Amino acid sequence: MIRFEKQGFAYKFYTWLPIIVLYISVLNEFDLNYLNIDYFSFNFPFILIFYFSLKEYNKFDYLLVFLSGLINDTVVGFPLGMSSLSYILVCTFASYLRNITIRPHLIKDWFYFLFVISLINSVNYSVLFLFFSYDLNITYYVINNFFTFLFYIPSSYVLNHYLEALND
Amino acid sequence: MATSRDDFVIAIRSAFLKKNTKQKFSLLTLIALSIFIIILSGINFTPIKKTKIFINEIVYRSSFIVSLPENFIVNTFLKIKEYSSFYNDFNKNKEELENLKSNEISSEIIISENKELKNLIEDYTLSSNKILAKVIVDHKSPFLRTIIINKGSSEGIEIGTNIYDKKYLVGRVIEVNYKSSRVLLLSDLNSSVPISIIPGNIQAIIVGNGKSLGEIKYVKDNLVEEIKDQSIVYTSGTGSIFKSGLPVGKINTSGNKFFINFFSDFDQLKYVFVEIEQNKLTENQSNLENGNNIETSISNTEKIKLEILNEENRILKETNSKFLNENQLLKSQTNELNNKISNLQKKIDTQEKKISQRDIDKKELEFLRLNLIYSSKCTRSAFRKGYKVNTPEYKECIYRKGKKLDD
Repeated sequence: MIRFEKQGFAYKFYTWLPIIVLYISVLNEFDLNYLNIDYFSFNFPFILIFYFSLKEYNKFDYLLVFLSGLINDTVVGFPLGMSSLSYILVCTFASYLRNITIRPHLIKDWFYFLFVISLINSVNYSVLFLFFSYDLNITYYVINNFFTFLFYIPSSYVLNHYLEALND
Repeated sequence: MATSRDDFVIAIRSAFLKKNTKQKFSLLTLIALSIFIIILSGINFTPIKKTKIFINEIVYRSSFIVSLPENFIVNTFLKIKEYSSFYNDFNKNKEELENLKSNEISSEIIISENKELKNLIEDYTLSSNKILAKVIVDHKSPFLRTIIINKGSSEGIEIGTNIYDKKYLVGRVIEVNYKSSRVLLLSDLNSSVPISIIPGNIQAIIVGNGKSLGEIKYVKDNLVEEIKDQSIVYTSGTGSIFKSGLPVGKINTSGNKFFINFFSDFDQLKYVFVEIEQNKLTENQSNLENGNNIETSISNTEKIKLEILNEENRILKETNSKFLNENQLLKSQTNELNNKISNLQKKIDTQEKKISQRDIDKKELEFLRLNLIYSSKCTRSAFRKGYKVNTPEYKECIYRKGKKLDD
C-alpha cells in the first residue's frame, strides 16, 4: 500500500491528481479515438466530473471544472461555453443526487449517470444543431453516450481505490 | 405530498446554491456564466472573439505538449507497423513511381498549357505561395474532424485558405489566430466541396461522412448512372471556395451510394501545405498601370516561358524523330524476318514431300523384295489355291508371309 507524507509534494500531487487528469484529458482527449474503431468513443471528463462531484471531493473545484470546459471547447472547436455548461450540469445533477441519497448504491448511481449524460448530450446536440447550425451525426452521440455509460463502472472501481489510498 | 415537494426543492436549492468550504462559485453562477458566454460567442461579440483567440494560442500549444507522450506511443506503434510491411510497400511504391514518371512529362506540358490558357481567359492570374505548416493538434474527435496548424494570420492565412497534403486537397481554414489556425478536413460532416468527376465531367458536391470518407450528396439524377467505380474526383472551383483542378480522391461505389476515398490519409497528417494566394496583374493591365520596369520584367518572364516552351517543343520533336527512325528500322527488320520465315516454310514443305516419297519408295522396295521370295507361294496356279497377281489380297499375302519369316 502506498503511504504518503501528508505535507509532502507527492501527497499534494496525489490530492490534485483528479483535476490534473481532467485537464490532461480535455487537452489531449485521451478517448482512444486513434484506434480508429468505427464509432467508438467515450467522454472521460464526464465520468471523472460525475464521480468526484458525487463523492464531494474537496479538491474538485467547480471553477476549475468550468475552466476545463472552456479548454475543451477550444480544443474540439465548439462554441465557447458549450462544454463548460455540460460539465457544470453534470456537477449539478451529481450534487442533487448526493443531496437526496442517504445510502449510495453504485448501480443506482450508474443508471442515474446514464440519464444525466443522455440529457446533457441531447441539450448539447440541440444547441449546436439549432443555434449554431453544426451538422453533427447523432449516431456518434448515442454511441459516445453508451460507451461513457459502460466505462463508468470500471472507472469508478479504479477511482474508489484512489480515494481509499487517500483516506489511508 | 407537500413534504416530498419541499424535499425536492431543498435538494435542488442545495445543489444549485450551496457552496462547499472550498468552492468559490455556486453552480448556478457558473451555469449562468456558461450560458452568457455561449450567447456572446453565438453573436460573435468582439471581446469574446479576442479572448477566444488568446485562449486558442495558449491551449493549442499546451495541447501539443500534453499530447506528446500519447503521440509518441501511437507513432512508435505506427512505425513498427510500417516496418513490418516495408518490403511490400517498397514494391508497390516502385511500381507507382514508374507510372508517375511516365505521367509527369505529360502533366508538365498540360500545366504549362493550362497556365497559358488561363492567362488568355482571365484578367489576372493567381500566383500561389505554399508554405509548410506543422499539425500541432489532431485529436480525431468523433464529432468534428479538424486539425490545428502552427501558422496563422501573421503568415497571411485567412478564413477559407486551402490546405494541402503534397498536392492533394485536405481542407480549408475555418478559424484563424495570430500563430495558429483550425482546418476543417474534407471528411467532416460540415465540409462541402464542389467537384468534377472524370470521366464524364460530372458536376457534384461531396460532403464528409464524419469518419475518413466523403460521400457524393448532390448530383443530377440522370447523371448518376454515368458515375463509375474508381473515377477520379477533382475540385470544380464552383463557388470559389476551392481552386479548380485539385485532386481530391477516387470514387468507391456501394449500392446506390458513392463514397470518396480521399487521396490523402487524414489520420497521418504531420505537415501540410498552406496556399497563400496573391493576386497578380496580367501583362495588359500592368502595361497600363505600371511603368516600363514592370513591362520589361513581365516580358522577361514571358520570354523565359517562351524559351521553356521552345525547349519542350524541341525535346518533343527530337523524341518524335527518334521514334520515327526506330519505327522505320523495326519495319524493315520485320520485313526481312517475314521473308526468312516464308523461305524456311518452303524448305520445310519440300523436305516433307521428300520424306513422304521416301517412305513410299521404301514400302515399295520392301514389297518387291518379299515378292521375289514369296510370289510362288501366293500366286494362283492349277495346283495351288492362291491369288491373282497385283490384287490387294495378293499383296496382303506377300506381306503376311514376310512377317511370318521375320517373327
